[in-house]
Amino acid sequence: MVKIKGTNKYKISFLLNQTKVEVIVKASAILLDVLREDLNLTGTKPGCNEGECGACTVLINGAAVNSCLYLAVNADGKEITTIEGLVNNESELDPIQNTLIENGAVQCGFCTSGMVMSIKSLQNYYISKNKSAKTKIAPTNQEIKKWLEGNLCRCTGYVKIIEAAEKLLTEKV
Amino acid sequence: MNFNIEIPHSIDELVLTLNKFKNKNYRIGAGCTDLLMELKNNSASNLTIINISQVDDFNFNNVKLSNGNVDIGANTTAFKICENENILENYKTLHEAALNLASAQIRQVATIGGNICTASPSGDLICALMALKAQLYIKNSLGENREISILDFYKGVRKTDLKHGEFLSHLSLNSNNKNAFKTKSGFIKIGTRKSMECSVVSLAYHIQIDKKGNIIETGLAFGASAPIVKYATRACDFLIGKKIDSLSKTEIDTFAKLVVEYASPIDDIRATAWYRKQVLFNISKSILEKNIEK
Ligand SMILES: Cc1cc2nc3c(=O)[nH]c(=O)nc-3n(C[C@H](O)[C@H](O)[C@H](O)COP(=O)(O)OP(=O)(O)OC[C@H]3O[C@@H](n4cnc5c(N)ncnc54)[C@H](O)[C@@H]3O)c2cc1C
Ligand code: FES
Ligand code: FES
Repeated sequence: MVKIKGTNKYKISFLLNQTKVEVIVKASAILLDVLREDLNLTGTKPGCNEGECGACTVLINGAAVNSCLYLAVNADGKEITTIEGLVNNESELDPIQNTLIENGAVQCGFCTSGMVMSIKSLQNYYISKNKSAKTKIAPTNQEIKKWLEGNLCRCTGYVKIIEAAEKLLTEKV
Repeated sequence: MNFNIEIPHSIDELVLTLNKFKNKNYRIGAGCTDLLMELKNNSASNLTIINISQVDDFNFNNVKLSNGNVDIGANTTAFKICENENILENYKTLHEAALNLASAQIRQVATIGGNICTASPSGDLICALMALKAQLYIKNSLGENREISILDFYKGVRKTDLKHGEFLSHLSLNSNNKNAFKTKSGFIKIGTRKSMECSVVSLAYHIQIDKKGNIIETGLAFGASAPIVKYATRACDFLIGKKIDSLSKTEIDTFAKLVVEYASPIDDIRATAWYRKQVLFNISKSILEKNIEK
């Protein structure tokens, strides 16, 4: 990270969806705004802007974080994954996205990218847990609900989302 | 929202930065979950944030054992606290408080130091740390250290003993009493919904019991029912020497009344003062009515 002389700005660099990016941000810039406004990745949604709804969830070094309450300068040197980063080169959706679609767990879609990133982070958590475990473990229904408590959905009533996550994480972790 | 930022990378750099800014308008930012919410609502001009989240120091960012005690660095996140086996095993009240703080996303960045220093009357980690009588370690802009019990740290609504130029470096939890055979330790949070809710009332308890079933040490604190998180000394003292399995209904009622004596709640959008006192009374009773669990 380099401070731009005579300004209140920093040049930061980080790995965004596996590609190295450099961007100049104000000291007080919020990661959500930098992703959407400077880097044109509008899949990450601004909902409440106060940490309540989870629509802005991205992965920082593999773990879900609210990008609306995260200083952009703290992204420097880290690995950031947004919903756009889950689609691979052949533009295939991530299995999490497919499972949500198959289960009818998407309605208006506003919460979906955040929901997917939170499920991804739970998947990552269990992958790393299972690396050192003798017998493979999967999250329980209660754990899934707890993990997703920071993601609000005004449409689905959650049942389909939880079912989809359960199906995916018990089958594929 | 507009501010400047300083980013120290070590404790020494942090001390130097505080020294440089001690007469200026600055705020410390750790996970920034409280700070950014505050600044989004009203941002002062010419403000510098001393961003401590990039301080690369193991003791500042982690939980570690030290001579049987547990030391927790101020920058340790709620997530790391949830994951720590020692805390789960020996200080369940803190584990449960951390696990019920906000959401997974916020637990990933929110720090214990931020929770302590924000001094919210409903601070969940504060509540558990009071029940555990944590000792706080503070450093100033000259690198000098001092310590204070968390029970003496809060001076009023969102006011702490922290002076300008000081920061919290870590806190320490005493090992449980060597005669403690069982510990009844937990955290109860009552809100208007289960997740992501500021407590209507919260209660942290840590009761140590010897082999014969005698209560030998107690710690109990509650949140959201007074201007600061409150430690209920008289209720704690009342239990000492009593047998956990043969407490009478009257004794349990007396205990819960002693807890409520420390409450001075207000009516607000979440609950009325009357309701808060009633809930505090009932949950205080419930911890003694439950079967002993480790
Ligand atoms: C949506 C949402 C839900 C929440 N839910 C809960 C909840 O359920 N329970 C709960 O208790 N809290 C909750 N909070 C509040 C907040 O997340 C916690 O208090 C958190 O622990 C603060 O940590 P932080 O690292 O983000 O603090 P910051 O925002 O970085 O700092 C908070 C304050 O502490 C000061 N500070 C931080 N570190 C130090 C230090 N080492 N030395 C001196 N001063 C320091 C800062 O200057 C600032 O004034 C919630 C917040 C949000 C936005
Ligand atoms: S927009 Fe970030 S949590 Fe709602
Ligand atoms: S699908 Fe509409 S908010 Fe969740």
